[in-house]
Amino acid sequence: MRVQWTMALRYLRGRKLRTALTTLAVVFGVAVLFGMNALLPTMLQAFRQTVLATTGKVDLVFTSVTDGPFSAERLEAVWGVEGIAEVTGSLRRNVLLPPDLAGQAGLNAVTLVGVEPEVAARLRHYPLKVGRFLTADDSDAMVISKGLAEKLALSTGDTLTLPSATGTTDFEIVGILDVPSIPGVEEVFVPLPAAQRLWGMPGQINVIEAVVKPGVDRDKAEQAVLAALGEMFKAEPPEMGEELIASLQMGEIAFALFGVMALAIGAFIILNTFRTVVVERRHDLGMLRAIGASRRVVVGLILVESLLQGVLGTAIGLTAGYGLAWLLLLTVRSVMQHYLRMEAAAPIITLPNLLTATILGLGATLAGGLWPALSAGRVTPLEALRPVAPGAYERAAKKRGIAGAVLVVLAALALLTGNFNMAALGTLLFLTGLVLMAPALVGPLSRLFGRLLALIFAREGRLAEGNLVRQPNRAAVTASALMVGLAMILAIAGMVTSIFDGFMSYIDHSLRADFLLMPASLVLGGGNVGAGPELVEEVRAVPGVTGATTLRLGTAAVDGLTLQVIGVDPETYPRLSGLAFRYGDPEEAFVALERERAMIVNGVFAAQRRVRLGDVLTLQTPAGKRAYRVVGVGSDYLNAKLVTAYISQANLERDFYQTADLLVMVEAAEDADTAAIQARLEEIVRKYPSFVLTEWRSFREEQERVFGQSVYLLNVIGVMFALPSLLAMVNTLTISVMERTREIGVLRAVGSTRRQIRRIVAAESLLLGALGTAFGILAGLWLGYVLVTGMNVSGFAIPYYFPYTGILVAVAVGLLIGVGAAVLPARRAARLDIVAALRYE
Amino acid sequence: MTLIQTENLTKIYGSGETAVVALDRVNMALKQGEFLAVMGPSGCGKSTLLHLVGGLDRPTEGRVLLDGRDLTALRDDDLAALRRRRIGFVFQFYNLIPVLTALENAALPLLLDGVKPAEAHRRAAEWLQRLGMGDRLHYRPDQLSGGQQQRVAIARALVSEPDLILADEPTGNLDSRAGDEIAALLRRISSEWGRTILLVTHDPRVAAHADRILFMKDGRIIDETRLAGTGEGEAQTLRERMEAL
Repeated sequence: MRVQWTMALRYLRGRKLRTALTTLAVVFGVAVLFGMNALLPTMLQAFRQTVLATTGKVDLVFTSVTDGPFSAERLEAVWGVEGIAEVTGSLRRNVLLPPDLAGQAGLNAVTLVGVEPEVAARLRHYPLKVGRFLTADDSDAMVISKGLAEKLALSTGDTLTLPSATGTTDFEIVGILDVPSIPGVEEVFVPLPAAQRLWGMPGQINVIEAVVKPGVDRDKAEQAVLAALGEMFKAEPPEMGEELIASLQMGEIAFALFGVMALAIGAFIILNTFRTVVVERRHDLGMLRAIGASRRVVVGLILVESLLQGVLGTAIGLTAGYGLAWLLLLTVRSVMQHYLRMEAAAPIITLPNLLTATILGLGATLAGGLWPALSAGRVTPLEALRPVAPGAYERAAKKRGIAGAVLVVLAALALLTGNFNMAALGTLLFLTGLVLMAPALVGPLSRLFGRLLALIFAREGRLAEGNLVRQPNRAAVTASALMVGLAMILAIAGMVTSIFDGFMSYIDHSLRADFLLMPASLVLGGGNVGAGPELVEEVRAVPGVTGATTLRLGTAAVDGLTLQVIGVDPETYPRLSGLAFRYGDPEEAFVALERERAMIVNGVFAAQRRVRLGDVLTLQTPAGKRAYRVVGVGSDYLNAKLVTAYISQANLERDFYQTADLLVMVEAAEDADTAAIQARLEEIVRKYPSFVLTEWRSFREEQERVFGQSVYLLNVIGVMFALPSLLAMVNTLTISVMERTREIGVLRAVGSTRRQIRRIVAAESLLLGALGTAFGILAGLWLGYVLVTGMNVSGFAIPYYFPYTGILVAVAVGLLIGVGAAVLPARRAARLDIVAALRYE
Repeated sequence: MTLIQTENLTKIYGSGETAVVALDRVNMALKQGEFLAVMGPSGCGKSTLLHLVGGLDRPTEGRVLLDGRDLTALRDDDLAALRRRRIGFVFQFYNLIPVLTALENAALPLLLDGVKPAEAHRRAAEWLQRLGMGDRLHYRPDQLSGGQQQRVAIARALVSEPDLILADEPTGNLDSRAGDEIAALLRRISSEWGRTILLVTHDPRVAAHADRILFMKDGRIIDETRLAGTGEGEAQTLRERMEAL
């Protein structure tokens, strides 16, 4: 109906500042959602184009389901498949650069690819800048990328020394490639036998590439090869760099989530604004009903208003989002060109992205407007004609308060069940309950905080307290806006504190050896080059060393899930280090590891696959299917986040053919000369550049420092999440003061000074800030506890730590926001022309 | 012919010990084209009577018949439609929508009823012209005086050509000159345009313009008088009757 549009437009125009602030909430959410989803596909597309340009003629790629190595003899099976024109095997793994080279190159690892030179040159295009490609006669020759050559100042004829299973290997650079094969990854090529020697894997490869004959169906050929290779193999898409793509996609999901969160908070702001609107416009709405407007018309009026704001906010948000994507693209473009050699064009606007952002933008606004609209529909015509008895509001607030209290009790019961889904549902109940209870709590809390406030603002404090108690609904709306923001900050702070303390206790429990010979990458599977048995033997022989134990690594698959398998020595490992157990008896578990095919699984694995003690799981190992019995659930520090199982090193050798030690933990005698031991260990490690010697205490401190940085990052993310809510608080407070213009006019008319007005508004804001902070702390503690419970359910066994610092930060932020948000409105209120203020409708 | 009739109309607010009887078994009738004023002290139930007759509120007991049709049996939407088409309201505080112009405010019942805006505006402009507001069509309420705002409210009440005009203290918020003008206007609406008017007031000078007057006290009709003219003499008589209540 046109009259609704006219009125909605006029009302919005009549309150420009409020309209702008409310619309801003929608703009923010839509801009993040749309902008990020326009940027990331651009980067993905650029990445894929670059990859496709360099994959050459390869049609089919196969790897083992465990991603582990296998015998090069398997190539014969592929040659036997009809329709295959060419087949080659390669050994492709990351090699961590020694620290001095890593610093110079600005990257930790390179991907070393061992290829069959003649066949590889036929299958792929290797454009050379200088020198030649590998030949079958080469021994320790290497072809590197232009980028790496520039970074390390290498040219043909120079030598590059890389860590190997026997210490180090020198490679002679024979050629420099013009482009890297895979963006973001520096590849170096060596003859296959050289790569096999480097890792101590004679006769092993881990990738098979094939080309089909012209006219042969690619998919059929792929199935035929898979049938020939057996169930231990899987087909790969003909592109690598999945990690980068996965990271970009993760980013896409994270930003989409962030955008949706921002929009949800936007909807909350709209809800708050329109609740204020309905209260303020009760008289007009009642009059409309009196002259014959149906409930539907009144509901429609509020919905049209929110729709208009949604359309405006979404339109501006889409434009701002596109601008944001451009801006970010300009920022990362030089990085992409320099490091990834990728050229990204303009942000990509896809129809699904446009539709999603638009629908969510409009949907969030309409959803925010719906409840107030329905409550507007319930305004009776009589409300236009006479003031509603305050008792009616009190009764309604009491009813809502009781309903809220019931919800809070239900939420507490849900939390007690220990079931995460129930607890998550409980959180929703808790927040709703708190919002419903808020008006009923305004009175008692205001009186409580009012006493404190009276110490600073003697007279104004009492007036401010009176204002809040008189309008508990309005106060509750404002406090709820602050509650959401602070709850976010506190929940994230609570989670971060728990993760931080939890992980530090993991270090104390599972990595407590006096000295550690660590791999360059703490992720064991991150391309570390291990050491043969000589290293640990040398370590054990050092005077003063009473024991040494090692970790080894293999990869298995369980029902399609890749599983990291850590080999431990069941005798020495529990004595020197050990796991933090959740289920099972540690002593019995390690005995079982020694005696049979038994494994201890970590929490993440147990949670993902619902594994219980005594379960027997079939692992696909390089040696075939093997049944392992679960004898414990526990984790060590390094592998808490990854899906991991611990087995004996004897079983790892038998079923996974892995004997290389990736980490060595050393125990010194209590009265030993630790300085002498350290000096001797340093000498040994010098021969193994892929290892770094660390003393336990300094390792713990370093981890604490590194973790501290991550905590900082998490806190930044927390603030980012809280930002829209804080905007909501400022917004609602500003609106709240604007709505009181007439009251302020009356106060001025009866003789209040400008200073008193400023102080009243400030005192009221401070009181509101205190209310919101109290609600926020309650909600934040709850949310944080549920998040930590969720992490425990997903396998990260971390205890809940009370976030004392978080509470202090929340109190500081809450009160600062309370006062800060009042500064402008208070100044504006004090400067108001009395007559104009009295006329304010 | 009877347009409005009430039967044992009762309204009780609250319950138990705190119950307040605002209207106590009121029976009255209003003929087509009649101008009836209801007088009485504050809290006597006169506004409650008007609200029930206008379908703004529902009685605790009794019925309101409009052309023989029971209003108390109507659904909310039907009542709203009835208020749009057959009843016009004039309130003490004008109750205009602050963001709409005089013309848009006056046209509102028609627009709510789905009449095309051009037609609604034409008819609203016509009424505003008749009520002497032709030169203020595009003014917003805050740009008009109290008397002018009440004229716009009267135009809004008349625009859908309703049978019944309900006026609740229409001069209560105006100075005496503007009040006299509005009272005279209501008389004109009844005499010249044949509308039925139910006026609630405690101002004898305004009530003196009516054809008939009901006196209420404690929720009941206690007296009734028919007026011959609208002079100061009638007003004085009414003033004395009011003082006696």
